[in-house]
Amino acid sequence: MSIIDNTLTGSDTSALEALLPGDPYEGRPVVMDEQAKREVRRAVLSGICVPGYIVPFGSREMPVARGWGSGGLQVTLAIGGRSDLVKVIDQGDEEGVNAVNLRRLIVGTLGSKATADTDDATIVQSRHRVPEEWMPGGSTLVLQVPQSEPLRAVEKSVYECKRRHAEGDYAKMWVALYERLSLTGIMGAGAGHPVMVHDRYLMAPSPIPRWDIPRLHQSDQLTILSHGRDKKIYAVPPYTKVEPLTFDDVPFEVEHTEGVACAKCGSTESFMVETKTHEFICSDVQFCLKVRAGVVDAARHDALVPRHYYPDPSKRVRAAAPVDPSLRPAAPSGVTAPGTDWSLKVEGLGKVFPGRRASSEVVAAADISFDVAPGEALGVIGESGSGKSTVMRVIIGDELEATGGVYVGAVGEGRTNLLSLTAPQRRRLRTNIMSVVYQNPALGLDMNISAGGNIADALIAAGWRSYHQIRRRAAELLERVEVPLSRVDDVVGQFSGGMQQRVQIAKALATDPQVLLLDEPTTGLDASVAAGVLDLLRELLAERELAVVVVSHDFSVIDALTDRAVVMKQGRIVEAGLTDQLFANPHHPYTQQLVAAARS
Amino acid sequence: MEDQNTGAPGIRTPVLEVTDLSMSFTLHAINRSVPSLDKVSFTLYEGEHLALAGSSGAGKSSLLRCVVRNYLPDSGTVLLHDGDRVTDLTALDDRSMARLRGRDFGYVSQFLNAPPRQGPLRLVTNAALRRGLSAADAGDAAAESLLKLGIEERLWDVDCSVLSGGERQRVNLAAGTVSPPRLLLLDEPVSALDPANRALALDVIESLHHQDVSVLAIYHDMGIIRRVADRVLLMENGVIAADGSPDEVLSAGHAVLDEVYA
Repeated sequence: MSIIDNTLTGSDTSALEALLPGDPYEGRPVVMDEQAKREVRRAVLSGICVPGYIVPFGSREMPVARGWGSGGLQVTLAIGGRSDLVKVIDQGDEEGVNAVNLRRLIVGTLGSKATADTDDATIVQSRHRVPEEWMPGGSTLVLQVPQSEPLRAVEKSVYECKRRHAEGDYAKMWVALYERLSLTGIMGAGAGHPVMVHDRYLMAPSPIPRWDIPRLHQSDQLTILSHGRDKKIYAVPPYTKVEPLTFDDVPFEVEHTEGVACAKCGSTESFMVETKTHEFICSDVQFCLKVRAGVVDAARHDALVPRHYYPDPSKRVRAAAPVDPSLRPAAPSGVTAPGTDWSLKVEGLGKVFPGRRASSEVVAAADISFDVAPGEALGVIGESGSGKSTVMRVIIGDELEATGGVYVGAVGEGRTNLLSLTAPQRRRLRTNIMSVVYQNPALGLDMNISAGGNIADALIAAGWRSYHQIRRRAAELLERVEVPLSRVDDVVGQFSGGMQQRVQIAKALATDPQVLLLDEPTTGLDASVAAGVLDLLRELLAERELAVVVVSHDFSVIDALTDRAVVMKQGRIVEAGLTDQLFANPHHPYTQQLVAAARS
Repeated sequence: MEDQNTGAPGIRTPVLEVTDLSMSFTLHAINRSVPSLDKVSFTLYEGEHLALAGSSGAGKSSLLRCVVRNYLPDSGTVLLHDGDRVTDLTALDDRSMARLRGRDFGYVSQFLNAPPRQGPLRLVTNAALRRGLSAADAGDAAAESLLKLGIEERLWDVDCSVLSGGERQRVNLAAGTVSPPRLLLLDEPVSALDPANRALALDVIESLHHQDVSVLAIYHDMGIIRRVADRVLLMENGVIAADGSPDEVLSAGHAVLDEVYA
C-alpha cells in the first residue's frame, strides 16, 4: 500500500548502516538511556490507566530545543523499537523542517524504518494534527503538546488547577466557553478545544483542529500526549469516550464549509488549509496524494468524517442576540431545621489564630452563638478587629480551622456541623446553599470576564449547562440589580465600584441560596452609591426567604438591613437585641460608645 | 365611658396590660443611672383611645418605647392580649418580637425613619404588606391612606428625605394607620402639623375608633385629647399621676397641666 515510502528524506539509512561495522544498532547514538526510557514508559502506562489524567515525568534534555517536539520525541524513543515503522508529520506535512529533523533523529536512534503511509505506520508522531486517514488498531499516535494543562488559560495557580482536576470542578473552563460564545457566537473558536475524557478528566488535546477531535473518541489507535518542557504525559487509550466540552443547547462545530473542495485532490471532506492564492488544499499531504492516486480506503475514511459536527447556522448563538430577562418563578422558600425556626445556626463558635514568632495567639472569636430564620436578617456589628469578619469567614468556609458548630437547615436537616466537613464539601455548599458578598468586589468576582460571565460562573458551578438558560438568568439578575442589559457582555473590571458591587450581589443570589452573608457590603462606596446598594439589598431581602447575616461596623447599614443584631467586641458577643433597641437603648458600655460615635 | 364593643357594660376586653413597668437609662460614660419609668401599671381595653399627657421627660415616650421594645424595661410585664392568647412582650425573644411588630401592633414614632431612596408610596405600601395585605391591595390601600392625609400624588415617588417636616409626619402616620392593626401606639402624631393638616390627621386618628383599633397616644394639646381620647393617663416623673376621662383629668387642676397645656 505504501506508494511514496522511500522518497522520504531521512528514511533511507542504508548508506549510514553500510559505514558501521557489525550490528548497525550497536553503534547508534544513544539519545535516551534505558533508565530515562523506563521513566517515560512508566508515565505512559499511568496515563493509559487513568485516561486524560496528567502524569508528571522526568523529562530529559533532548537534542532538540524545548518547544520543538522534545516531549513527543521522548515518548517515541521510549516506546519505539527497530521493528517499528515511524511516521512523523508537522501539521499534516511530512516535509516540514521540524518533521524531517525529528524523523532523522528517531529513525537514526531507534534503527527503525520510516514511512509516510498512515496505514503502515506503527507509531505516528505529530504536531497539531491527527492524520486524516484511519489509524489501525495497535498503532500509536504521539502528539507533541505545547500546553498540557487545559485550565492554564483560566487558572494561574498550579495548585488550584490540580485541585480542580481532583474535584472535577471545571466550572472555570465552562465560563471561558460562555465568554467565547457570547463574543463570537461559535462554539470552539480556536484549535485545541478542551475535551472531557471518560467523563472524568478535562484534557487539552494539543492544538489539533476541531475537525480532529472526534478522531480521538472511541478510536482504534492509542493516543499519547507529551509535554516535554512542562514534564507531563497523558493518554487516551483506544475505545475511550472523548467529548468536546459544549453547552447542552449549543452544538460543537468542526471546521467545514459547504462546497469547498481541495484544489489538488477535489476532496470535500477533509481538513483544509488556505494557500497564499486563496485556494483550499488538504492539510494532510499524504492523504491528498493517496486520494489523487485513488488508493484511499473510502469506506474507512467516510466513517471518520465528523458530519454530525458540521456547522448548523440555525443552531448557532447569534453573537449580538438580545438577551431576554424573562420572569422566573419566585425564589424557593427557606428550609428550616426540622422542629425549629432557624435555617442558619452558629453555636459556641471559636477561632484562635496561633501565635507566630514574637506575637502571642489571638482569640478572634469565642463562644459566638446565634441563629437566623428564613426571611430574617441578623446584624453583626463591632469595630475593626472585633472578630466580626472572622465569624463570617468561618461560616462561609474561607477559614476552615475553628471550634464550635455551624448548622444549616438545608444540610442534613440541620444536624450536620459544617465545620466537620471537608474543604471540597464546604466549597460545594457555596454553589447553591450559601453565598457571600464581600466588601471588595474583586474577591467575589473575576474582574477579567464579563458581568454575564461572572453570573454564568455561579450557575455553571451549580450544574447549569444550557447556554440560553444561563444567559436569560444572567440578564434577569442584572436587570434586577439595575445593571443595564447593554453591559452584560462588558468586562467587570471596567465597571464602577457601585456597579461591581451590584454584579457581585447578582452573582451571590444567582443560585437562590438559603444563606446569604454580607461582609461590609457598602463600605468603600461613596454615600449616594452606598445608599443605592443598600436600598437594593433591602428590596432583594424582602423578596426572598433568605437567612441573612450582615457584618458591618456601620450602624446605618445594620439599621437599614436587619431586625436583630449582635454587638461584638474582642471576639465576643457583648450585647444582642432588636436592632433599633440596640441603637435607641444600648446597655453595654461598648455599645453605648459605638452608638455615641455613630450619632456624632 | 361605656364600652361599645362587647355590648356588656362593665366587662371590657383588655388589649394591653402593663404592670409595674420600670425603666432606667444606665449611662456608662458618666457612670450614672437615670430613672425614667417607675412601676407604671395600666390597662388598655379593646377599642379604647388612651391618651398620655405630661411634661417633657415625664416618661411618656419611654413608656411607648418600652411597649414596642425599642427600650428594654428593667422590670415589669407588658401583656398583649389576643383573644385567649396572652403574650408577655418583655419576655418575648427578639425574633418573635420583630415578627409581631408592624403586624400585630403599630408604632408611629415622632419622627419618620425612612430608608434612603424610598418614596412615600413605597414606604406605606411596604407597611401594608407587613400587615398582611396582598401585593395588589397594598398599593391601593397605601394610596388611599396617603390621600386621606393630604399627601398628593406628585409627592408619592419623591425621596422621603426631601419632604417637609409636616409632610414627613403625615407619611409616617399614613404608614402607621394603613390597614390598621389591633393596637396602635402614636408618639405625638400631629406635633409638626399646621391647623388644616392637623384636622386631616385627627380625622384619620378619630376614624380608628370605628375600626375597633385600640390606641395609646401621646398628645401635647388639650383640645386634641378632648376630641379623640376616651381616657387620659397623666404622667409625672415616671409615674402615673392621674387616670380618668379627659374631663376628669383635665379639669382636676393638676399643676403640671397648667405649665404644659396652658
